[in-house]
Amino acid sequence: MNLKKYINIYTKFLHTSLASELEYKTNILIDLATAILSLIGSIFLLSIFFQNNARVGGWEFEQALIIQGIYTILNGITNTWFNPNLTEIVKHIREGTLDFVLLKPIDSQFFISSKKINPSGFLEIILGFGLLIYCIKINQIYLNFYYLFLCLITLICSICILYSLWFFISTTTIWFVKTWNAIEVLRSFLYIGRFPLNSFSFSLRIFFSVFIPIAFITTIPSEVFLGLTQFWKIFLEVAISGIFIFSSRKFWLFALRFYSSASS
Amino acid sequence: MISNLINRKIFALIKVQYSNMMEYRVEIALWAISGIIPFFMLNIWTNNNLNESINISEIMLSRYFLCAFFVRQFSVVWVVFSFEEDSLMGKISPYLIQPLNPFFRYFAQHIAEQITRFPFALIIAFFFFLFNPESIWIPNLGILFLSIISTFLSFLIQFLIQSIVACLCFWTEKASSIERLLFIPTLFLSGLLAPVISFPEYVKSWIYLTPFPYLIDFPANLLSGNETNIVRGFSMQILWIILLFPLFKKIWFRGTKKYTAMGS
Amino acid sequence: MLNNIIDVQNLSKSFDISSKEPGLKGTIKHFFKRKTTSVKVIKNISFKIREGEIVGFLGANGAGKTTILKMLCGLIYPSEGSISVSGYFPYRRKENFLKNITLIMGQKQQLIWDLPPIESFYLNASIYDIDKFEAKKRIKKLSDMLEIDNELFIPVRKLSLGQRMKSELLAALIHEPNILFLDEPTLGLDINAQRNLRKFLQKYNEETNATICLTSHYMKDITSLCKRVICVHNGSISYDGKLDKLLKKLSPVKEILIVCRSEEDVIKLNTSGFTVKNKTKNEITIKVENKSITSSLKTILNNFDIEDLYINEPPIDEIIGKVLNKKEYDI
Repeated sequence: MNLKKYINIYTKFLHTSLASELEYKTNILIDLATAILSLIGSIFLLSIFFQNNARVGGWEFEQALIIQGIYTILNGITNTWFNPNLTEIVKHIREGTLDFVLLKPIDSQFFISSKKINPSGFLEIILGFGLLIYCIKINQIYLNFYYLFLCLITLICSICILYSLWFFISTTTIWFVKTWNAIEVLRSFLYIGRFPLNSFSFSLRIFFSVFIPIAFITTIPSEVFLGLTQFWKIFLEVAISGIFIFSSRKFWLFALRFYSSASS
Repeated sequence: MISNLINRKIFALIKVQYSNMMEYRVEIALWAISGIIPFFMLNIWTNNNLNESINISEIMLSRYFLCAFFVRQFSVVWVVFSFEEDSLMGKISPYLIQPLNPFFRYFAQHIAEQITRFPFALIIAFFFFLFNPESIWIPNLGILFLSIISTFLSFLIQFLIQSIVACLCFWTEKASSIERLLFIPTLFLSGLLAPVISFPEYVKSWIYLTPFPYLIDFPANLLSGNETNIVRGFSMQILWIILLFPLFKKIWFRGTKKYTAMGS
Repeated sequence: MLNNIIDVQNLSKSFDISSKEPGLKGTIKHFFKRKTTSVKVIKNISFKIREGEIVGFLGANGAGKTTILKMLCGLIYPSEGSISVSGYFPYRRKENFLKNITLIMGQKQQLIWDLPPIESFYLNASIYDIDKFEAKKRIKKLSDMLEIDNELFIPVRKLSLGQRMKSELLAALIHEPNILFLDEPTLGLDINAQRNLRKFLQKYNEETNATICLTSHYMKDITSLCKRVICVHNGSISYDGKLDKLLKKLSPVKEILIVCRSEEDVIKLNTSGFTVKNKTKNEITIKVENKSITSSLKTILNNFDIEDLYINEPPIDEIIGKVLNKKEYDI
C-alpha cells in the first residue's frame, strides 16, 4: 500500500515538473547544446593525451571513449534528477518554505529528492547511450545478458553513490544556505570521472577510490563493459554504494534534527 | 575629480564586500579548492609521461599548471550568477536608482573575494611545493609584475563577457544556461586543462584569434617562465577589452531601457 | 464533549546565537573565533486549548509567537517542558498527526509557481492519501466557500495576491485537518483580502469545528476572529483569557496628532485639560479615550483653527507592555 502511494506521488511529481519545465523550451535546447559541446571538448582533450601515445594508463583511446559515454549518461542523470532538486532545496531554505515539506505526511528525503525533474537531462542520457553503442561497435564487444546484467548492477551502484554525494551537499544547505561553492568542488572532482582511473598516480588512485569514489562511478562500469573487471571490484562497489546511501540518510535525519532545534 | 569619486566609491564597496566575504570563511576555502582541476590534469600528464611528446620538461609543465591554478583563482568570474539571483529577488530595481552602475558592485565583490582567497591559494601552493620540491622557483620581480597585470586583464575580459551575458537577463530568464554553454570553450580552450602548445595544428591556427588562450594560457606561461609571445599576448588582451567594453555599455543601455521588474 | 486538544506545560526554548563586534577589527576576530550566547526566547509557558476554539496569539515582532506555533506543529523541538497536540508529541511528526494539522504562513507559499493551482491541489491530495474523486468534491466545496472558480486553472504566477492567498488556503485545507495553524496570515494583504480571510476562517470553524490557532501583530485579526487571546511578550504569556475582558482592561485610547498653525495654539491646547503625550513647536499629541473622541474633536475644531489632524492607535508594543506590567493603559 505504501509503495503504491509513493509511486502515485512520484508520477504526480513527474507530471508537474515536466509541465513547469516545458514552459521554457529554449532552455532545453541550450542545455543539450552544452552537453554536446562538453562531450566534444572532453574527447578533444582525450585526443590530445593520446596524440603520440597508443595507451594511457593502460587504456586505448577507443576504450577510454567508453568512460566518456558512461560519464555522459551519469551526468545526464545528475542534471535530470539531482541538480534541479538541489536548486529546489536551496530555494526552500532561503524562502522559509522547508516547513511545508516537513509537515507533509510523506518521507521528507523522498520529497526533496524527487520533486523536480529537468527534461533536458534526458537528452544527455540518450547522448551517452548513443556514444556507448558506438563504442560497443568499435571495440567489438560481444554482448550477452550476463554482461548486461552486471553492467546494470554497477551502473545502479554508481547512480546511488552519485545520488548520495549530491544529496549530501543538498543537506548542507540547512547550515550554509549558499552551497554553490560546495557544488563546484563536487563538480570539479567529478570531472575526473571522464578519465581512466589508472591514468592517475598511485596516491591519487587511492584518493579517487576511497574518499571521492570517482573510480567506482565511471571506471568500474566501463571495465565491466570491456569484460576487464574482476568480481571483487563489483562486490566492493555494491558495498560502497550501500554505505553511501545509508550515510546520506543518516546525515539528512541529523540535519533535520538540527533544523528543528536551531531554526526560528 | 570624477575618477577620485569613483575610486572612493569602489573602495567603500570593496571594504563592505570584504567584511561580507569574511563571514563565509568555509565557503571561500571551498571555492579555492574547487579550482584544483589543473593539478589533477598535471597528474595525468606527468604520470603517463605525456609531456615528452610536446617537448616540455616535467618541471616546466608542473610550474605551468601551478600558475594556471593561480591565474584561474584570480580571474574566475561569476557575474551572471549574481546578477540573475539579484534580478529574481527584485534587487536590481533599487540598484538602478542609485547613481552607480550595479556592475561596479559586482566588480567590487569579485575583487574582495580574490583578496580573501589569496591566503588559501598560498596554502595550496605550499602543499604543491611540498609534493613537488623540484619545481620550486621564484619568478623575478619584473615577470611577476607583468603576470599580475595580464591576470588582471584576463579577469577583465571574462568579467566583460559575463556582464554582457548577464544583461541578457533583461530579455530572457535563463541567461545562466547561456553562460554554462560559453563556459565549455573557456574550459577547454583557455589552457586550464592542457597548455595550448599541446593542441593539434589545425586548432592552433585559429585559436590565437579568439580570446580564450589569453585567459589562462598566456598569463600562466608568462609567470611560469615558459616560452610565450609577450607582445602578442598583451596586445590581444587589450584589443579584446577595447572590443568588449563598448559592446557591454551598449547592451546595458538597451537592457535598462527594456527593464521590467520580475517576480513580485 | 469539550476536551483539551492542545496541552502545553512549562514550555521553554533557547537558541544559540553568534555575535559579532562591529567594524573591521571585529570582523577579523569573528573570522577566527565565534562567540555564541544562549538566548531564551520562550520562558516557561503553559496553556490548554479546547477543540473548536479559535485562539489568537498576540504580540509584537520577535515576541515568540511564531516559535510557539512552530513548536505546536512539530517544526521546532522544545528545550524544556511538554507539548501534546491531539494526543501526539508534535516533534515526532507521526503520519496521522500530520494528516490532522495544517500550517499556513503569510507571504510564504507552497503552490507550484508555474502551474495552475489545481495541479498543486491534486498533488497534495495524493500526498494526503485522498483519492481523485473525493479530492474533486472537496475542491468544489472549498472553492465555493472561498469564492474562487476560474482562477484555479490559471498559472499561479499570473494570479493576484488575493487570488493566490485563496488558492493557498484551498491547498492547505484539502485534507480537512481539524487543527489549523496560521502564522501572520494577513501579512501583505489589502483590506478586502484581510476581511475575506477572516470571514472564511469564521465560516470554516463554524462548519467543521476545527481548532484554529493564529498569530498576528494586527489587533484587527484578533478582535474579529478570536474569543480567546494569548498575549505573548518577550517569550512569556502576559495575558491568557477572553478577549473582551482584555479590551475592557486596556480601556482603549487613541492618540490624536494635531498640527497647529501657530505656537500659541500648541500652548493653549497643552493647558486645555487633555492628556498630552508630547509636543513640539507646532505639533501636539494628545491621548483621548475612544468614547470621548467625538466630543474632544468637537472641542478642538470649534476652538482652534488647526492645520491638520491625525488619529492613530497607540503602538501595540505600548499596550502589551502595559498589560505585562499589569498597569492599566490609563489616560
